[in-house]
Amino acid sequence: MTLLAEQLLNGLQLGVMLFLLAAGLTLVFGIMGLINLAHGSLYMVGAFASAWVQQRTGSFALAVLAGLAAAGGTGIAVEALVLRRLYAREHMDQVLATFGLIMFFNELMAILFGRQPLMASIPGFLSGSVELIPGVPYPVFRLAIILVGVAVAIGLYYLISHTRIGMLVRAGATHRDMVRALGVDIVLLYTFVFGLGAVLAGFAGLLTGPLLSVQVGMGDRILITTFVVIVIGGVGSVRGALVGAMLVGMVDTLTRAFLPGMLRGVMPASSADALGAGLSSMAIFILMAIVLLVRPRGLFPAHG
Amino acid sequence: MADNRRHAAVLGLTFLLLLLLPQLATALSKPDLLTLGSQIAIYAIAAASLDLLIGYAGMSSFGHAGFFGLGGYVVGILAFHAADNSLFLGIVPGLTDAWLVWPIAIAVTALAALAIGALSLRTSGVSFIMMTLAFAEMLYFLFVSLKTYGGDDGLGFRRRNALPWIAPRDDVAFYYVCLAVLAIFLIAMRHLVQSRFGMVLQGLRQNERRMAAIGVAPYRVRLAAFTIASAGAGLAGALNANLLRYVSPDSLHWTMSGDLMVMVVLGGAGSLYGAVLGAAAFVGLQSVLAQWTEHWMIAMGPILVCTVLVARRGIWGLLAGRR
Amino acid sequence: MTALLQVRGLTKRFGGLLASGGLDLDVHQGEIHALIGPNGAGKTTAIGQLAGEIRPDAGTIRFDGQEIGHLPVHRRVALGLTRSFQVTSILPAFTALENLMLVHLVREGHPFRFLRSARQDLGLQRQARDSLAGLGLLARADIPAEDLAHGEQRQLELAMALATGAKLLLLDEPMAGLGPTESLAMTEILRRLKRQLTILLVEHDMDAVFALADRVTVLVSGQVIASGPPDAIRADPAVREAYLGAEAG
Repeated sequence: MTLLAEQLLNGLQLGVMLFLLAAGLTLVFGIMGLINLAHGSLYMVGAFASAWVQQRTGSFALAVLAGLAAAGGTGIAVEALVLRRLYAREHMDQVLATFGLIMFFNELMAILFGRQPLMASIPGFLSGSVELIPGVPYPVFRLAIILVGVAVAIGLYYLISHTRIGMLVRAGATHRDMVRALGVDIVLLYTFVFGLGAVLAGFAGLLTGPLLSVQVGMGDRILITTFVVIVIGGVGSVRGALVGAMLVGMVDTLTRAFLPGMLRGVMPASSADALGAGLSSMAIFILMAIVLLVRPRGLFPAHG
Repeated sequence: MADNRRHAAVLGLTFLLLLLLPQLATALSKPDLLTLGSQIAIYAIAAASLDLLIGYAGMSSFGHAGFFGLGGYVVGILAFHAADNSLFLGIVPGLTDAWLVWPIAIAVTALAALAIGALSLRTSGVSFIMMTLAFAEMLYFLFVSLKTYGGDDGLGFRRRNALPWIAPRDDVAFYYVCLAVLAIFLIAMRHLVQSRFGMVLQGLRQNERRMAAIGVAPYRVRLAAFTIASAGAGLAGALNANLLRYVSPDSLHWTMSGDLMVMVVLGGAGSLYGAVLGAAAFVGLQSVLAQWTEHWMIAMGPILVCTVLVARRGIWGLLAGRR
Repeated sequence: MTALLQVRGLTKRFGGLLASGGLDLDVHQGEIHALIGPNGAGKTTAIGQLAGEIRPDAGTIRFDGQEIGHLPVHRRVALGLTRSFQVTSILPAFTALENLMLVHLVREGHPFRFLRSARQDLGLQRQARDSLAGLGLLARADIPAEDLAHGEQRQLELAMALATGAKLLLLDEPMAGLGPTESLAMTEILRRLKRQLTILLVEHDMDAVFALADRVTVLVSGQVIASGPPDAIRADPAVREAYLGAEAG
């Protein structure tokens, strides 16, 4: 029971992280029509910049600022130099060009920081654990991630549903041509949306740093998971991204935690662990395939 | 006509170069060239099969490596069971004869593609890209979790599949086998795209609604194309396993699917022969850049971006003009 | 005389919008039957359902004595029912000849031949040339379809629909985007097709409708408000008020 509670919290924490990544990715697809594989690179850039600054200065606040700035800056630069030319292109071209960007950024990080993982540490005031539920000690840092994630989700909701720029974003996601026709400075809107997505991705990266190691290629794995999230949610829909992120976070965490144990009942422990790990890695893809077969456009399709 | 002559010239030169590669390798005393050549021929088969989907059918499959790796694992697993005289799933004995193993690899991949395609083709656009990716990732994790067959570390085996008249350790002979398979595969694909089926496929890329309105069942045609193309990847994967005498989950990873797409586009999508040039350029650049710096991808990435942005018809378009 | 196409109670709802509200329609052998109505009356949705692209919520569609409401598009084409599109729909990268060769090879029923070259198939070429000649496009056979003039593209699309061997053509605004001369030419072409096959014609060009149609059905908000010979329709007060009046006024 206590294990279940802990794993549920872990699932929530992974879901929050995925939402930070998915929100930007899904908006960029919904508004610009762009499949951006390089989104994972922004996550990596944020994580590296933050870990490096933290190692140098020891300041968590500076590290956070550095991570956000690096990811946002990189995102805006990439949008202006490369991605802008891809909006009107076929999906295939977008996939390829942004795949090239992944190669570039992975290698750039390897040159700048080496292939050895960087270690980021949890700042003092967020270390240790608390007993939220009696008998279940839970790391403060993970709890903080959940809270921050929820705050960001609420902030995004407010931004999108209550502000002028949010109105444009919503309109852009459903009626791309109309927004253009209204004479809105579309270039500025695109840069804003892309920058926002990049900052959120970098934020997810720097929060992940102390939990996992910061290393080259860290964005590749999570990128595919993020795509699973937005496809399940319905590409272009922020609400879909939220629901998809929670679903994927839970399914992934719970199968990883409990499937090997269940399999041990029917086979030797070592094969059960290997097969359990494999099957739980597959779980989110199976989930996505099922969702797409029932609803080919995801749970909350954005375009009518 | 001038274009046709240029075609023939580019094709002829490429083929001559490939034919004489072993002699070249000896003359330059660079035996690595031979492995490089075999690798190019094998990737060219995989890329040409992907080009059928991307360049002719307009189907953006992002899971081609799944089939490439699957073909390799058929070879690896059968060799594994042959080595210790055990049975696969308790019924299938191990095999090492190429004339049996390779067709089995093709058949297994085709069956997998039929099932995966049948599900994936119920979606289109981004969802199709993601479905194909998802199934390839499932295969990837399946093989990672099969500890019997090496799991993460992959599966090595001692001998290549036995071919009549060819010594298993003869690298030159194996290179020519790969080259011959590539030539036959390209001729078959050329016929395929010019056949009735190929015309229907290209029609579907241009205008699906119109094709349905003249009586085509798009789903069945696309499924057939998906199965054929994937079987081609399976064949390439089987050859690749033979070249390396090793298979690993890396051969099914999504970045491998990305690499194959890069070869198609670098070489020029929709030309088949472009796949050969794309594979050569990719493998060649990789080895040249890798000698120059371990960080070769820092150059490969921007080259790819530029190809997509400005040179859309790829190397084949550059060399041979209009197709 | 039994109708070639018999539609009963065809219903389609998009959210709150009733696109087809229990549509009844009879199209008889050999006639040109015009389906008219103001924008948003549900004409194109009706064509889409008859062709099999849109699944109706309710209703039956009998064609040539057979219920076809559950059949996919390509099966209906095989039975002799095909459509043209409001926005020209051709294969832009293929030549006019290749566009038609494709129709004939599908009609012959061998789309799954993998090895023999189709482009060099003389039988297919001859059939395709005959089809092009039928609409006066033979001289343009080797031009890529995307480079044809707009009027020629519309004729090409019509030639493709005819080449499927259709008994019933569903034409969705064949005059759309045509100039006055081209419209007249198209009217002439359709007039020649009369009696050869049956046509359900959706069209906004009233001159063409009244020049061609044997019978006219008027659709308003997804419902038939009148159906009959052109003269009766012209005189029908309900039609005048709901449609012609608004259009003329």
